[in-house]
Amino acid sequence: MNSQIAERPMEILLVDDNPGDARLTAEALKDGEVENRLHTAKDGMEAIAFLRRKGRYIDAPRPDLILLDLNMPRMNGRQVLAEIKEDSALKHIPVVILTGSRDMDDIVKTYDLHANCYVTKPIDFEQFIMVMKSITDFWLTLVKLPTEEN
Amino acid sequence: MKQMSKTSELIAKPEVMAGEIKQSRELFRILFHRSPIGTYIIQNGHFRLVNRQLAYILGYEEDELIGRPSLGFVLAEDRDAVRENAVRMLEGGCSLGYEFRIVTKQAKIKWVMETVAPVHYQRKRATLGSLIDVTERKQVEERLKQITGEMQRSNTELEQFAYVISHDLQEPLRMVSSYTQLLAKRYSNKLDSDADEFIAYAVDGAKRMQTLLHGLLEYSRVGTRGKPFSLVNCEHIVEQAMANLKIAIEESGASVSYDVLPTVMGDEGQLVQLFQNLIGNAIKFRREEPPQVHISAGRRNSVVTFSVNDNGIGINPQHSQSIFEIFRRLHTREEYPGTGMGLAICKKIVERHGGHISVHSQPGQGSTFHFSVDMAGGESA
Repeated sequence: MNSQIAERPMEILLVDDNPGDARLTAEALKDGEVENRLHTAKDGMEAIAFLRRKGRYIDAPRPDLILLDLNMPRMNGRQVLAEIKEDSALKHIPVVILTGSRDMDDIVKTYDLHANCYVTKPIDFEQFIMVMKSITDFWLTLVKLPTEEN
Repeated sequence: MKQMSKTSELIAKPEVMAGEIKQSRELFRILFHRSPIGTYIIQNGHFRLVNRQLAYILGYEEDELIGRPSLGFVLAEDRDAVRENAVRMLEGGCSLGYEFRIVTKQAKIKWVMETVAPVHYQRKRATLGSLIDVTERKQVEERLKQITGEMQRSNTELEQFAYVISHDLQEPLRMVSSYTQLLAKRYSNKLDSDADEFIAYAVDGAKRMQTLLHGLLEYSRVGTRGKPFSLVNCEHIVEQAMANLKIAIEESGASVSYDVLPTVMGDEGQLVQLFQNLIGNAIKFRREEPPQVHISAGRRNSVVTFSVNDNGIGINPQHSQSIFEIFRRLHTREEYPGTGMGLAICKKIVERHGGHISVHSQPGQGSTFHFSVDMAGGESA
């Protein structure tokens, strides 16, 4: 159904306001086995602009996967998630909530907003690499999703 | 019969009767005027007779009070309640004194407690009142209420503080820990051996801090994130705790048994955690032989007491209090890993359930942890 997966690098949009966190996710992805191109948005406004190809994102690719942090200034992760899931052009893109929070309220709220999964960043870096590998393996190679044209 | 004959004797002799009446009056007069309780007779809402103590409480001379409406001394906003209470008591509906505020001649407000009884005075219906000054007690009560409130507030604040601290510190700590690990991963054997050692210590320190923060967070969650109480079957609770400890139980060859356990009012998740910590400790601090853990329970009125007994290494009685403090450890991390939070969390859970926790143990002879759950005295749901 989606044979191009193997032929081009996977486009991942990472939305995280903390450069340290964003870099860490990038490093963890480097150690994974899925070939990918990582795009970073530093808050929700940038993420939405990227997804809708606004302004300097006019040529932005449609991401295959969105990694979304929850606590960000201007527009937080929950707002971004709500906006993505209400947009028929974007709602099929898998959104993985990647956050430091273990708060059950956060978990429930984001699933209510149709997050595809919720992952708490482990403190241990080796575990984090494992987590990133599982996420990319699962969402980028294992799962069949409708293509944009569908 | 004897009593009757005596009475008829009295009736027969008026001079004896007059003497008795005189004695009674004298007795009443002394009792009334010397009483340390404010005492008075009211007719048609006005003072007819007052004693010195009442005058003293109200700040007037006795004769200044005679003929004045008694309700006039009651603080305006308390008057309706006083009237209502007095009527109820006069009708026999209640016998306990009621409290209200009065205003003295010096415009001071005092708290008093009054009782009233219907009597006849000079052949007309009247009210006999007694009144004591309870201002001091009221002030102490008020102060106590205020202090309790302040303490509860500061406790809640502290819990919130611990929660926020441990929660918010995790983020920067994750940075430190992850990047030191990344350094170790990418650069070990590329720098010199000193660098490798320094990085290893930094990684280890960050990991330790993480476990401590996690413990603190769990501890503060007992108070801030507790669930409302419901009826929970303790056998289910113990089974759940055992399921969570499945690997530890299997690996150590432990046998965990329990008697018939009652149903209690409590926070299910926290009770599972409580049993899990205690059974987990019994397995962790074991001797050479496979651990044996037994749980029993007894009930007295609304209090259910549980005992968790093991055949482990035991605890020196001198530590039987301190082991329940946060971050308290009796062993090095090499001997037994852990944060020293487990029993502190147990204590906090038990206290939230209106109970106490204690341990009876001797080194080398196993330990028995006792804790209670008060079905009536715990935090209400």
